[in-house]
Parts: sequence; structure tokens; C-alpha cells
Amino acid sequence: MKVAYYPGCASHGIAKDVDIATQLIAKDLDLELMEVDDWNCCGGGFMDDKNEAVHASLNLRNLEKVEKMGYDKMATPCSVCLNSHKVAADKYENDPVLKEDVDQRLKDANMEEYDNGVESEHFIWVLIRDVGIENIRKHVKRPLSGLKVGTYYGCQLLRPSNVMGFESAFNPHSVMDLVAATGATPVAFPMKTACCGFPLMGSNPTVALKMANNILSSARNEGSEMLVHPCSLCHLQLDVTQDKIQRQFKQNWRLPALYITQLIGLSFGYTPKQLGMSRGSIEYLRSRGIS
Amino acid sequence: MEEKEITVNIKKYNDKDGAFWKSYKLKADKYTQMTEVLRRIKSEQDPSLAYRASCHMAVCGSCSMKINGIPSLACRTIALQAVDEKNEINVESMDYYPGVRDLITDIDVFYDKMYKVMPRLIADESVLMGENEQRMTPENQTEVWKFQECIYCGLCVSACPSVKEDEQFLGPAAHAKGFRFVDDVRDTKRSERLDLLMDSAYRCTSCYMCYEVCPQDVQPVIAIKKTKNYLDQYKGNTPITIMARKHDDTVENLIETTGKIKESTLFLKTFGFGEAMRDAIDMLKSGKFKYAFEKDSNVKNMNEIKGMMGEKK
Repeated sequence: MKVAYYPGCASHGIAKDVDIATQLIAKDLDLELMEVDDWNCCGGGFMDDKNEAVHASLNLRNLEKVEKMGYDKMATPCSVCLNSHKVAADKYENDPVLKEDVDQRLKDANMEEYDNGVESEHFIWVLIRDVGIENIRKHVKRPLSGLKVGTYYGCQLLRPSNVMGFESAFNPHSVMDLVAATGATPVAFPMKTACCGFPLMGSNPTVALKMANNILSSARNEGSEMLVHPCSLCHLQLDVTQDKIQRQFKQNWRLPALYITQLIGLSFGYTPKQLGMSRGSIEYLRSRGIS
Repeated sequence: MEEKEITVNIKKYNDKDGAFWKSYKLKADKYTQMTEVLRRIKSEQDPSLAYRASCHMAVCGSCSMKINGIPSLACRTIALQAVDEKNEINVESMDYYPGVRDLITDIDVFYDKMYKVMPRLIADESVLMGENEQRMTPENQTEVWKFQECIYCGLCVSACPSVKEDEQFLGPAAHAKGFRFVDDVRDTKRSERLDLLMDSAYRCTSCYMCYEVCPQDVQPVIAIKKTKNYLDQYKGNTPITIMARKHDDTVENLIETTGKIKESTLFLKTFGFGEAMRDAIDMLKSGKFKYAFEKDSNVKNMNEIKGMMGEKK
């Protein structure tokens, strides 16, 4: 099955391991990821703070490229990129004043008026809906039995639910279902749908780190040995940034934080190193006999 | 009308005993609101049960609570739609606000934050003197209408993760109310309002929790984003807005010049050399330093990007 694929800036940059793991498991599952032609940054979480019409235009440009490639669905591994594209398409459809401004901008860019015919989806929605949990289970070569994994969703994947639409904003289960498919034990924790604080890193990092620490502590308190999440930017906040959190809160523990496809990749038999994981995660997994 | 027996688990609270759960059984039909459920429990089973509910039609905002963990208005929640597979419902008081008794919380902090944003129209003197009329266009009314629909229920603030961690954040409801006047052409205090709101706006995480729980579809996070649209007109400077300006300008410039974001440039320009180096050391220790220099290609057709970005608002 071929799927239009929007990696997003972080997955092609500082969160490259998200892209590595996504590509690896997609190949195993016979998903051919067709990268969107000449894609641009979605400006998620920032550009609409500057100018809503520019933000919407940038996102519609990507969706129009997908349409030109002949697909009606675009998958991304990043919750923020997903949210950005879905919110932009929704505003374009429902806000006539914004639509007029966006149409003019597309015209100024010598582009055609967009007919809103492409659906943006998270890569994990494609895994669940198109590939199927049973099919994923069939590819598991190394069941991760005995590993207790905190299932984190964050904010952008779920809210606003009238736009995102895949699952309940308060009782989601997609990440839990995927973790269970790997043989690991999914752990729900109270802050599973709270924000990781990444959006504040550019303006108020002190509070941003507190919020990240709340997520990690909540997962740990419920018995998680590690945590999985669905977002390139949550990955930056909850993985490497833990060093900052340890310094700020004088903590002596770490909770390995993986992107969900990295966990699936482990169960498919890839090594932590092949999946591009952090040294901390590699060491922890080795201590659990997974290398 | 078909009725079903349901179990309602209520987290009760008082100063003497602290918090404890108590269960009640009663019958409900498909029209029974949760406020009616609470009324029946109080009048038929437990006169000590304390809760607030006035209008029963989502206008007064008094019956805010958590139903099955979801911040909700009891009057807008139908009992049989809220039950789980065991026909049970869990009811608790709102998070964040201090408990008074059972489902009643003290929401003074909510009113304090609302008061701080000058929640009233401050018209031109000539209008007040009756020398001029106060007019707005339908387009302008459409822009601000949504943000004045708040019923002061307090759910958005109780659910907001940033309010809990940052006392200086005014919170979603106050921002919606504040912005409603920023963008009202009849108001004369835009500059003062931006002084009140701008620093706080950059304390919002844009997590859409307020949007999700608001029973009136006020969408406070959108008001906060629209407030940030005015950053160029804001003349003040706080440590938060200085950093936000650096960060957002860098994001915009990167998109304008390459079509994408290069994180290493963004880190350096937002946090400065010292902090960026500390991050680099963390990356090095974690074995992920190599990703900091990943080079993705720029957008090939930059004319399209430039055409769309056009004139800045």
C-alpha cells in the first residue's frame, strides 16, 4: 500500500530517529511511504500565532502537493504537524473570511485554489486502520513481554476532538493498542493526555520543563519503566531534554522515552541502535535483555 | 419511559473527613440530566450532599464538575449517556480550585483573573457624552462574538495545565474576555490591554484543553493565538515576550528563506550561544548530536512560499 508521507522538519532534523523508525517498520508492513513533493514546514504551533492566513496557506500547499501526487490521504509521524494540517484545512472550510485571504495568497504564489480533498492522518492511525493490529502482531519477532510501557498521547493528537476526530480526547486507546501488539504491557497514567510543555520551550522554558517532569513522574508513579509517545516534538521534550529536567529538579532517575514506532521496531527485531535511540534508552533496554 | 438503575459514585469532601467516595443507586431515563440525578440523591438519599446548580440549561455555569474524569457541566450531561458498561458514573469536583464541600469549589481565583483583564468596553469620551454613536461592522462583530460567550463556569481554567504551574498565566477564560475587547473597534484601550495580555499569552501551551472542555464553544486558545498576532504592535518587553519574539521571528525567517525549520539555528538564535551549547552537550551525551546537523534540502520552489507569506499582518 502506498501512502503520501509528510515527515515534518523535526523528523528530518533533530528528531531524525522518529523518521528512521517509521521508515523501518513501514517497509516491514508493506507500506510504501511516498514523501510529499517539495514539502514545506507546516508552521505548527507558531505560525498561526503570527498570521492565521499564512499558516493555513503553508499547510494547504502541502496538501495540494499530495493531491497532485494522486493521493487523498497524507500520513505524518508528528502530532503537531498533523494538528497543524487538520486545523488549517478545517479553518479553510469553515471560515469564509480566512478562505478569501488564503485563496489570494495561493493565487499570489501561482498556485491553484485548493479543493480540500486530502485527509491528514497520523501514522499511527494508518497503522491501526489500514494495517491493522492483528497484522502488526504477525510481524512481531521479539515480543516485549514483561516490559511496562507508559502510553502517552499528549495534546495535539487528540484535541480539538471535533477536528482531530480519531478517538476520545479523554479516553484514547490507540497508543495502548499498539503497545499491546508488541507484547509489552501498556500502562495508563493520569497525565497521559496532558501537554508535554514543548510549545513553551521558546518562551517560558522553566514552566515547560515542569510540565515535562509532570508527565514523566506521572508515568513512573504508575509503574512505567519507559514511556512511548506519538510526536516528533514530544520526543525532543521527553527524551534528550530529560538531562535538563534532572538538573532543574535535582532528580536522580530517568524514564526512557521512545517514539511509538521505535517500540514497534524493537518488537520487529531491530536493535535499539538501528532505531536511532538515545544512549540512555539503549542502556536501559540492554539491562532488560533487549539489544 | 424505560428506566435503568445506575450507580453514581461521588467523591465527597469536607474539612473534617477530607475526601472520600460514596455510592448511590437510583433510576434514570434517557432524559435525566446529571443535575437531576444530584437533586434526587440529595432529596431522597443524602441531604448532606453539597453541589451547585442553578439554571439547569447551560447558562449560569454553576454546575461545573468532573464527570468520569471529564470537566463538564452537570446540566449538559445526560446520565444514561455518561454511564460505563457497568452502568456507573464517577463524579468529582473540579481540579485546581480549593474544595469547599463535596462538589463545591471556591472559584475566586477565576474571578480574580477575569477582573484583571478589564472585562468591560471602554468607549471614547464622545460616545459617553452622547455626541457620537458606537458602531461596529458585522465582520467585526463576527470576529469578537465567540469570545464573549463565556458563562464563567471555570471549567477551562480548572483543566488548563499551564495555570496549574504558572501563577502569572491569566488563564483561558480571562484571555478570551480580554481579547474580545482588544479586537473590538469601539474600545479605546487596545494598547493597555495588550500590556495586560501579551506576556501571559506566551505562557499558554496551545494544548487545546480549554477549547475541548468549554461548554459554550468559546475556543479561548484561539483568542490567545489571535492576541499573539498583535505581538508586532505590542510595545512592551518582558523576559517572556523578548524570548518569544526571538523564537517566533527566527521560525518565520527560516520558513521565509528555506521553507523549513533548522533546529540548530532555531536553538542558537532563541536561547543564545551558552544555552545552545548546554543543549549540544546533552545531545552529545545522549548520542544524538549527529542529528543536530542533519541537513534537509530547502524547498525548491521558494517563490510559492514567498508568494504565500506575502505582506506581514
